[in-house]
Amino acid sequence: MVQSKKQKYMFLAFCLVPTFIMFAIFTLYPLFSGLYYSFFDWSGSAQNKEFIGLDNYIKLINDAIIPDTIIHDYFLVATKVIGIMIMALFIAVALTQLKIKEAPFYRIVFFFPNIMSVVVIGILWTFIYNPSMGLVNSGLEFLGLESLARPWLGSETWALPSLVLPSIWAGIGLFMLMLMGGIANVSKSYYEAAEIDGANEWQQFWKVTLPLIWPQIKISILYIVITTLNGSFIIVQVMTGGGPNNSTHVMGSYLYQQAFVQFNFGYGATIGVMILVLSLITVLILQFLMRRDKVEY
Amino acid sequence: MKKLFNGKVMLLFIAMFMLAFVVACSSDDGESDGGTETDSGDSGSSDSAEGSGDGEISGELEIQYFVGGYGDSWWKEVIADFQEEYPDVTITEHAGPNINEEMRSRWVSNDPPDVVYIDGAGSSETQMVEDGQLMNLTEWLQDIELESGDKLADSFIVEPATYDGEIYSLPLVFDTWGTWYDKALFEEKGYEVPTDFDSFMSSMEEIKDGEGIEPLVTSGQHPYYFLRGMLYPAFGAAGGDELLADVIQGKEGAWTSDVVLETMKKVETLAAEGMFDSGLGALNHTQSQMNFLLHDNAFIPVGFWLPNEMANDIPEGFEFGFIPSPMQDAGEPYAIVPDLRPLAIAENAENPEAAKAFVEFAFTRDYAMSFSEHTGAIMNLTGVDLSQSDEVPAYLTEANAMINDPEQVQIYHKPHPMSADLETPIGNALMSLMLGNMTAEEFVEEAEKAAAEYRN
Repeated sequence: MVQSKKQKYMFLAFCLVPTFIMFAIFTLYPLFSGLYYSFFDWSGSAQNKEFIGLDNYIKLINDAIIPDTIIHDYFLVATKVIGIMIMALFIAVALTQLKIKEAPFYRIVFFFPNIMSVVVIGILWTFIYNPSMGLVNSGLEFLGLESLARPWLGSETWALPSLVLPSIWAGIGLFMLMLMGGIANVSKSYYEAAEIDGANEWQQFWKVTLPLIWPQIKISILYIVITTLNGSFIIVQVMTGGGPNNSTHVMGSYLYQQAFVQFNFGYGATIGVMILVLSLITVLILQFLMRRDKVEY
Repeated sequence: MKKLFNGKVMLLFIAMFMLAFVVACSSDDGESDGGTETDSGDSGSSDSAEGSGDGEISGELEIQYFVGGYGDSWWKEVIADFQEEYPDVTITEHAGPNINEEMRSRWVSNDPPDVVYIDGAGSSETQMVEDGQLMNLTEWLQDIELESGDKLADSFIVEPATYDGEIYSLPLVFDTWGTWYDKALFEEKGYEVPTDFDSFMSSMEEIKDGEGIEPLVTSGQHPYYFLRGMLYPAFGAAGGDELLADVIQGKEGAWTSDVVLETMKKVETLAAEGMFDSGLGALNHTQSQMNFLLHDNAFIPVGFWLPNEMANDIPEGFEFGFIPSPMQDAGEPYAIVPDLRPLAIAENAENPEAAKAFVEFAFTRDYAMSFSEHTGAIMNLTGVDLSQSDEVPAYLTEANAMINDPEQVQIYHKPHPMSADLETPIGNALMSLMLGNMTAEEFVEEAEKAAAEYRN
């Protein structure tokens, strides 16, 4: 049966319009109202607000804590990208290439943190890091390394690095699955050919696996970067609240503190705009750095 | 494919896009328009309410109260009694530990509850007054009498906070931060209960040796606990109400003054001598209190909520002892700075009549007595003899007697709570000082900088 043009358009509208309305209400509207509020002096808990133009942006530039939060955010981005990608990649290769019998079991174990809420993970790790009864310090004591035991989350130097471990632990599973999917799609014959040519496991990994799953790696890295810039807030808020003395504040948690603790909602919105701009720039730069010709053998 | 984006469909998209924006923007405009209307309407109605005080009390009454360490049993009792007295009123309670967050959208959209008890995280009396959300109660207060016929205005232990001379809230709960210890442990081991800063240090030295613990704990996630619990009394003792007001309002030069520096030197000493729990930086409210109950630490500066809030976790044989935070020099009386949790009426209350009736109803000496029985804390009314009731916990009767003895304890008053905009940066620097990463001199510089920023 031949569809009339009208029918075709009706069908398209049926598919697109509801989604677009939802998108407009839940994404575009908050986006633009965030931008709008960033020009106001508003406590966020009352109706009266005052238009102050770019004052919030001037405050943003002069705020000594902002550069720290940006550094903390990118510290988490860098450590998470490196940590998660290396671990996920090796686990994925091991589970697909090394013909381990218990592979399905490990797959579940490694994916498990992904089905847990980040809040639960944060609370769990707060107990693990607890200075007197936590697993980390008692483990160090058990090994005779008391001198290394310290109040991890309570130290201005160690609190931020301590947040990296739970973030990586929580992130591995998903990317492991993504990379396993990629590796499974690589035809066995390439490995056979490489083996005949005398390539060892390492060379196979570098010359065959890595180039062929580059698209998956690229998406994984972008995804980690975006979720870290937008979502590291949760783990910070749960585990340290940004302290001690701002040493773990990321942009998101500082936004929350300004908007909802210090009642500077307008300024919080300004920080939100900054996060958006920085995320966009970062993603664009990454896209540029990671562009590679598609490899096909 | 190309055809999809010509003509009609493109038009449809543009139309949808425009529509979404018109909807989004117009709802916003509608809100602010409505706001100004109700603003003017309400200032009129509250005037008329003051005029006609005796009208029948009916309609819906919405009460917002935070439920924290004091529990909600006292509220339930008062509200049930009020309902009995005024059967025509339909009461809606908004209560819980996160109620300030949950009700925020109501306040923002100018549809607040009628009565609000301001306490707990996410609430700020100062902010509410600055935003014009609370009704001016200055004149109305003069007409309220207690059951005995005493004027309420003359029966407060601590006067209501004033903002440019006007009263916007009535202090309901008289809390005071002080330092808690385990009386049973101290009696058993013969540790000295500190009476001033020197004996505080020597007592903690003893405890360090005797128990092998770091004696002093506070919540590092909320550094203002130490500020309110230890430093306010210290500032009061060292410089009286004037200094206290200056540091809270961030007056120029207040934080760098010699008196403040001297006090901060004491904190530096506490840190240098290893008196603070080395893990306190990450402790939250409950963890720090739990540490104290488990004898991981011997002293904790918090408010009167502690015994009631932790009631289910108190180890056997534990006996709460309370002293005002001993930060003052030898030979001087203890200092306390009361911390008040007020009851207020919304400027835009829909039922101001019922709201006023409720506030008046709650402020009686009978309810003050029952408040102490329910919560183990004190309601802000004079002339309540706590020793008459067996249900009032012993620590409270003792603390109350101590607070009312001017030989032992001097009471200092802060003009109003410190704004979060000043408290947050000062708390952060304080955290660094307590962890030993900053000197007292560096701290006062940081605090003065924060105060300068706050003044702007």
